[in-house]
Amino acid sequence: MSQRTLPRLLQSPAVLLLLVWMLVPLGMTLYFSFIRYVLNSLRRPEWTSPSLSNWRGLGNYEFVLNSKDFWFAVQNSIFIVCSILFATVILGILIAVLINKTFPGQGIVRVLLISPFFVMPAVNAVLWINMILDPVLGLNGLAVGGINSLVEGLRDAPLVGWFFSMWPEFEPISFRATQTSAYAVIMMVTWQWTPFAVLIFMTSLQSEDQQQKEAAILDGASTWSQFRFLTLPHLGRPIAIVVMIQAIFHLSLYAEIEIVSRGNGNKNLPYLIGEFANNNIGAASATGIFAVILANIVAIFLLRMIGKTLME
Amino acid sequence: MGRIVLDKVSKKFGDVEVIPPLDLTIEDGEFAVFVGPSGCGKSTLLRMIAGLEDLTSGDIEIDGENVTQVPPSKRGLAMVFQSYALYPHMSVRKNIAFPLRMEGMPQAEIDKKVEAAAESLNLNDYLERKPAALSGGQRQRVAIGRAIVRNPSGFLFDEPLSNLDAALRVGMRLEISEMHERMQTTMIYVTHDQVEAMTMADKIVVLRAGVIEQVGSPLDLYRAPRNKFVAGFIGSPKMNFIEGEEAAKHGAHTIGVRPEHIEVSASSGAWKGVVSVSEHLGSDSFFHVHDTGLAETITVRAGGEVGFRHGDTIHLTPRDDVIHKFDSSGLRFE
Repeated sequence: MSQRTLPRLLQSPAVLLLLVWMLVPLGMTLYFSFIRYVLNSLRRPEWTSPSLSNWRGLGNYEFVLNSKDFWFAVQNSIFIVCSILFATVILGILIAVLINKTFPGQGIVRVLLISPFFVMPAVNAVLWINMILDPVLGLNGLAVGGINSLVEGLRDAPLVGWFFSMWPEFEPISFRATQTSAYAVIMMVTWQWTPFAVLIFMTSLQSEDQQQKEAAILDGASTWSQFRFLTLPHLGRPIAIVVMIQAIFHLSLYAEIEIVSRGNGNKNLPYLIGEFANNNIGAASATGIFAVILANIVAIFLLRMIGKTLME
Repeated sequence: MGRIVLDKVSKKFGDVEVIPPLDLTIEDGEFAVFVGPSGCGKSTLLRMIAGLEDLTSGDIEIDGENVTQVPPSKRGLAMVFQSYALYPHMSVRKNIAFPLRMEGMPQAEIDKKVEAAAESLNLNDYLERKPAALSGGQRQRVAIGRAIVRNPSGFLFDEPLSNLDAALRVGMRLEISEMHERMQTTMIYVTHDQVEAMTMADKIVVLRAGVIEQVGSPLDLYRAPRNKFVAGFIGSPKMNFIEGEEAAKHGAHTIGVRPEHIEVSASSGAWKGVVSVSEHLGSDSFFHVHDTGLAETITVRAGGEVGFRHGDTIHLTPRDDVIHKFDSSGLRFE
């Protein structure tokens, strides 16, 4: 045996297991995506069991590409992921810088800040859509109602009454509507994932070299310049990590979309797969392959970006 | 210009007074070294001069102007840190240019100044590298370059050589001394290494627990230390202190004899002892002598060719003219 054979032999069970773990589902998805396969069909009962005799070629792919929701789902997936990334990174940096200073009660504040991350996604969605964003019973409805009654009261006030009587009555926004449901999802996921960004950025800020800051102070750098030229470059790597991990997680959002609007005006690829999978497994599998391709494109971009920051 | 005056400067951290009120004047163009054991407040004092630490009381003047409330960057001082404190994401060029960029200097002028500083520090070949790709000595040079380009009225060094290996340290020591000769700018240098203090300083300030024990030129401190602490701190190897009967013969509570002021002989001498360890450096030999009945160990320096070994009997004779006498409170008297 050569020197390399034994280690490779010892590694092989684990590698094989992982390979099987990955290749079997991928292979099955590929197989299903090329055949006609539905869960229930009274007209064509032979399609209800997977078989090569039901070969459809690229027909499923064509069907998915021509379905009205596909391109919308692709765009919407990217829109949701990018919006959440943008918001969590900016909020995360701001909050991390803010709580990096020592202040009384910082232990409790830090625990409270992290806690949204431990809420289950479905619970998070139910809480937000019912208690905060609901146009009647939620904070949204109560706040708008409060403003309206305040303006109502001020209309009769002396001196300023004429000004307020020009104001219209405000309408609360319904976040289950077609136009707004994506924003509801972005808001609730941002709330849940900002703590993750804060946690990572905070650890990184604590490892920042204080002597560098002092040198910068002596060099005449303002607080903003210190942040811009020292802290931000120092955070480059953690930002890349946060973006990569979150992108992978948010491409597969499902519970929030289901609970907010059941896909009304707001679908992503996993949700579309779910819809197809109600009956048409072939189309769902084809969509799954598209999702894999999209995830790989995103991953290549992200790996490039991270590689670049790691090189610097 | 760069005359720095500390007037009753003091510092408290909470209730702990690390520096009791202290007066000190550093003349323009002087190379002053703050030396003392670790924790003596020498770095704190330097940081107070730089403006990185607030004063609890007292005033700092630079060139006659009270700068106690002036922010660090406006004091006209540049500092070189122990960890170099280079900006890791910037190239050497950008590191050196950073203070000028913060001043808002035009780019053409910045380039000229950076090139000139790099030239004088032999950094031209490394200008586009990141600090991580440099050796310790090169990083130190970049830190000095960043200080030089600001054209400060004074340089502050906070143990700048302690992260370098021994050979490099000697080289950088010479370079900093040469830089001082060339620029004739005020420099304050903090170290715990008395060799650095002796070789570089015009004026040594010996500190203990935030209190100035003595201020003077290296040779003044060597010849006439004010007390036992300074006598023990300056000079290498350390001065031997002898108490009791032998000291009483000289009318003192304690006498101090430097290792280099003792004659050795195999046959006869004032004191007799047994060599426990002998260190041969080639140019010199150091003998640690036990069983003299005077002190636990007497250290002696002799020529490189003197060849006592472990266990040999040795006779010692101190040179009478250079015996230091101390009273019971540790102060030196003639």
